[in-house]
Amino acid sequence: MKQLSWWQQARTIARIEMRRAFFSRRAFWVYGLALFPTVIFLGHFAQVKFQRVRLSSTETVRPALLDSLREGETEEAVLERLGKAPVDYDWERRQRILDREDATGITTHGIEPAVTARYIRLNVIRPTVTADRSARIGEFEVYGNSGVNLALGRPASGSAPCSDGEGPEKAFDGDPRNIWCSGARSKYLQVDLGEALPVSRIVLKHASAAGKPKELDTGAFSIEASTDNRRFETVVNLTGARLVDEITRYRRMSYFDGKRRADLQFVEGKLASIDIEPLLNFEEDRSIFAGVFQLFYLRLAIFFGCLGIFMNLFRGEVLDRTLHFWFLAPAKREVLLLGKYGAGLIASVAIFTGGALVCFAVLMGFHDPAEVQSYLNGAGMRHVFWYATAAVMGCVGYGSVFLAAGLLLRNPIIPAAVLLGWESINSFLPEFLQKLSVLHYLQSLCPVPVPMDDSAPGLLRLLVAPAAPSSRIGAILGLILLTAFLLSIAALAIRRMEVSYSTE
Amino acid sequence: MTESKVALLEVSKFYGEVLGVNRVTVEIPPGITSLVGPNGSGKTTLMNLMSGLIHPDAGSIRMRGISPREPERLMRITGYATQYDAAPRWSTGLSFLTAGLLLFGHDRSEAERKAWAALDRLGLTDAAHRKMAAYSKGMRQRVRLAQAIAHEPEILILDEPLNGLDPLVRAETIALLREWAAMGRHVILSSHVLQEVDLISDQVILIANGMIVAEGGIRNVREEIQEHPSQFILRCRDASRVAAQLFEEDHITEIRLNDDRMGLLVLTRDRERFSRALGRIAGGGYKIDSLIPADENVDALYEYLIGEEK
Repeated sequence: MKQLSWWQQARTIARIEMRRAFFSRRAFWVYGLALFPTVIFLGHFAQVKFQRVRLSSTETVRPALLDSLREGETEEAVLERLGKAPVDYDWERRQRILDREDATGITTHGIEPAVTARYIRLNVIRPTVTADRSARIGEFEVYGNSGVNLALGRPASGSAPCSDGEGPEKAFDGDPRNIWCSGARSKYLQVDLGEALPVSRIVLKHASAAGKPKELDTGAFSIEASTDNRRFETVVNLTGARLVDEITRYRRMSYFDGKRRADLQFVEGKLASIDIEPLLNFEEDRSIFAGVFQLFYLRLAIFFGCLGIFMNLFRGEVLDRTLHFWFLAPAKREVLLLGKYGAGLIASVAIFTGGALVCFAVLMGFHDPAEVQSYLNGAGMRHVFWYATAAVMGCVGYGSVFLAAGLLLRNPIIPAAVLLGWESINSFLPEFLQKLSVLHYLQSLCPVPVPMDDSAPGLLRLLVAPAAPSSRIGAILGLILLTAFLLSIAALAIRRMEVSYSTE
Repeated sequence: MTESKVALLEVSKFYGEVLGVNRVTVEIPPGITSLVGPNGSGKTTLMNLMSGLIHPDAGSIRMRGISPREPERLMRITGYATQYDAAPRWSTGLSFLTAGLLLFGHDRSEAERKAWAALDRLGLTDAAHRKMAAYSKGMRQRVRLAQAIAHEPEILILDEPLNGLDPLVRAETIALLREWAAMGRHVILSSHVLQEVDLISDQVILIANGMIVAEGGIRNVREEIQEHPSQFILRCRDASRVAAQLFEEDHITEIRLNDDRMGLLVLTRDRERFSRALGRIAGGGYKIDSLIPADENVDALYEYLIGEEK
């Protein structure tokens, strides 16, 4: 029997613990986390493949023809030049709009044949074309066969007025500037002509005729007539002061030249917009990967994955009541710690660095090989190296954090929440405090910044970019120092640790 | 000389405000030593302290000269089979033992050879390749014993080692422990079954409420047990007269008359003479309805040996 050095013992422990690190039932979900972006990319490429098949159902067009398209061309001209489109559909859009910009706010409603009535009532269905809920009428005029306003000065009634000076009588006083206004739930305005008279025309002067904004003109209304004030007959069907239905015809056609997809939108037969995009955009996909790597892998997957793997190394043994087997082995507790950390590190690096690289490989695999080769010959391999390094260092850093947390604390939720909060606010902290964050160093290692257009909120831009990035060597050294510090704390904790399952 | 002993000096351990063991000082020579005491008396705490699974709040422990704070040295000469009924779910008996032996520096083939030998000693050869999750309670107990002896330690600590074993395996295990002790090694085990202790121990440490109440050779303890008055409940019609006759016997230490005057609680130092005396009384015309032993259990003996502590 040879005496094993501490390093050989740690290696032996790591080898034994590999199974727990890789295949613990409590942490099986980490594989889902690591492979999630790959699945999303595969879905994206499957969708592109499907589109390619669909767009190739008719003959592809020559690239020059796509480039020749100009806005304003007619549907017929485009169809004649490019032929039948593989994707072609049209639709109508119906929109209620103000009829004319120069409308006066006065509507005239002829009643044919004329009716005999004593009471005329205006029912307001929609008070305005805006969100304003009050109805306003400047003048409500009723005409028979002559040009005399039969309603002028006649007794009026109506729903509750907006104010004392805006009662129903204001709509019958001959001055459109004095308005009737009502904000009641059910709005109406009625006049008593005094006796039953023939009525053939009604003129309404809406809010804009009284000098108010034209958006306040009555949105929708109807007019009824009665001889006895009990039974009313609709004489003007539902209508509005200034609204008409406008119908616009749209058509979308898509063409494909083998690489690019052109989406053409026609409005009323004229080409209104042209959107030509490659079906697969290598540069854009690389940019998306950079975002996925920083925002998903570093901030979520590696963080929570290390939580699952490293916390389980000791907490899992306590829950399984098997930790004492390790404490009864002829090894220093610190060596046990190192061995378990090694096992967790190998598992997390394999799962998450592997996951990120598989995702990257999938991305490369679906693009034009020439384009990919040119990228790899340029900055590509350097990018791969730094992505892998950032993922490895993420496992090194977060692994030590959660290994120490697993020894010091019982509930993993609390340290995870605290650390996640700390990592999230790190960009807002003074520079020296930023250096006490794993994420700070990891962001400094990323080869490609997160794509962020100018319209993105400033807060988000601040969150994803390190305020004072470290150099790469500095970031690696910083992470190693941070890890060494955390492992020292963990070593102190494990030396004092006692096996006491009954309190768990 | 201390280097060949297990020595605890003024060792105390508290779990918060709860006492584990209190100022325990004891020297254990090689041979089979049993820690005896009722449940919760501190036996497991003492064993956990000896093996370094927990640390004392005060006092010092030397296991053949080695502190439990040095597992890298102590565990080379110590094997501990705990009472925790758990094992890595995915391990087989063989892989579990082999993995542990690799840490001693054995190469894989040597580790496997030793693992097979230990499994064979505990009659687990047929189950060596089965997942431990499928083991019965008795098999798990045996595999823990196998793990404790696999590296042939100088000090073997066993917490209730015979629990859950069938009679045949129990006898084999006792033989194994005797063989181990005969080689000048320490075998320290815990038990609350006195009869079992009687069978296998060279020395006994009686423990109650975290304190050692007696220690020494098994003969001394056995004599104490024999001197312990036996209690009987006697039912008879003329209890007062029977009591008067019994009081004439010098081995009778106490008689209590039942309230209904139909029963007696009799304490005697000599069960055989008591039996003969009772025969004579019955022959004299007194009708004895029933005779029930009142203390033929371990608890009663504890009560006597440990008194109010239990």
